Amino acid sequence: MTDFDFNVIWSSLPFLWQGLQLSLLLTFLSIIGGIVLGTLLALARLSGIAPLAIVAATYVNLIRSVPLILVIFWFYFLVPLALGRPIGGFYSALIAFVLFEAAYYSEIMRAGIQSVKRGQVHAGQSTGLSYWQIQRYVVLPQAFRNMVPILVTQGIILFQDTSLVFVVSLRDFMTASSIVARTEGRLVEMYLFAALVYFAICFSGSMLVRSLKSRMAT
Amino acid sequence: MIDIENISKWYGDFQVLTDCTTQVAKGEVVVVCGPSGSGKSTLIKCVNGLEPVQQGRISVDGDDVTAKGANLTALRSRIGMVFQHFELYPHMSVLENLCLAQEKVLKRPRAEAVTRAEKLLDRVGMADHAAKFPSQLSGGQQQRIAIARSLAMDPIAMLFDEPTSALDPEMIKEVLDVMVELAQEGMTMMVVTHEMGFARKVADRVIFMDNGAIVEDRQTAAFFDNPESERAQDFLSKILDH
Repeated sequence: MTDFDFNVIWSSLPFLWQGLQLSLLLTFLSIIGGIVLGTLLALARLSGIAPLAIVAATYVNLIRSVPLILVIFWFYFLVPLALGRPIGGFYSALIAFVLFEAAYYSEIMRAGIQSVKRGQVHAGQSTGLSYWQIQRYVVLPQAFRNMVPILVTQGIILFQDTSLVFVVSLRDFMTASSIVARTEGRLVEMYLFAALVYFAICFSGSMLVRSLKSRMAT
Repeated sequence: MIDIENISKWYGDFQVLTDCTTQVAKGEVVVVCGPSGSGKSTLIKCVNGLEPVQQGRISVDGDDVTAKGANLTALRSRIGMVFQHFELYPHMSVLENLCLAQEKVLKRPRAEAVTRAEKLLDRVGMADHAAKFPSQLSGGQQQRIAIARSLAMDPIAMLFDEPTSALDPEMIKEVLDVMVELAQEGMTMMVVTHEMGFARKVADRVIFMDNGAIVEDRQTAAFFDNPESERAQDFLSKILDH
């Protein structure tokens, strides 16, 4: 035990903080983008318009059957080909995460929309609100609220998944920890520290979910 | 004003409405009663197009509800509807419940919508509860607000789908009182209910349904004093003798 030197953590803190900022930024933007796109996909699937529903369902099922790392790779290599210019690791990773997570968020939002009682739609219709107005003002706010705990849980998973961006040479928190670990030769200390940080963040998230759930139950 | 002509409706192979025909004149109050599953709720939901019909024609104030491509949203904004389970929007305050469609459908300016909402809340005795959320209120209070929400749209007719069946007995009266007042002011109303006291007091006509068909459609007094069909007699004896 005496061989361990935890000072390496202090000295490399600014470097690690940069990595963590990238992880958090990517998580935050992907959650927002994923929920927006996922909600649109869910609405498309429930729209009752067959072509729209089929396209959305195919997309969701396709994305959910491939590993995330593959999607990250795809966009890293495909987007520059499509646009004719490189867009950098961060943006390609962000696009990959948004498109990937949207598939999962759409399933959550679909369940949320279906959890809203049919009578609520009838109430909206009977006052002359249009389909979109009913979705916008009546159904989605309730669907979203009912699903907040699951949406946050998915966000925690997403945060952990951002560690995969090392494959497109982005320096997230995990990658930064790895770099310090290897250059300083302090593998055990750094990986222990990284585990603690991930645990602290994800556990706080889980506690948030728990308190949200109990608050909603009352 | 409400003209229902020979409508029939099926859920798959099951026929829920069979050749129903009736009219509701302006200012008339019509109570629809009958055993559960007789199609009475379905019938009034067809009136504002919440339920489509496969045969027949319904028109309200001259506008055809059942026509293909009918502008249902415009039509529905002119017909109020009150539901068994109130269906207030749980994520909005009472005031917002009353303002939403006024602002989004009628395009009333905010101030005007609020004024109208407050006036109606006062009318149903709920003026002090504008800032509350539906979950903070009793069933009777929620239903009175639901009625106010419909009235905020200045409807030409009101449909009531078992407005008191989900209420505790002591709350039924406060809701019926509001409805009686509406009826006496000349609102055109079609009311699905088991409240025969209400029917006797304010209904001009009573429609009795069984198995998806209109069995009797009579003046209120005639219906109660000498119902023609055996089924209506049977129904009345069960519902009145307790």
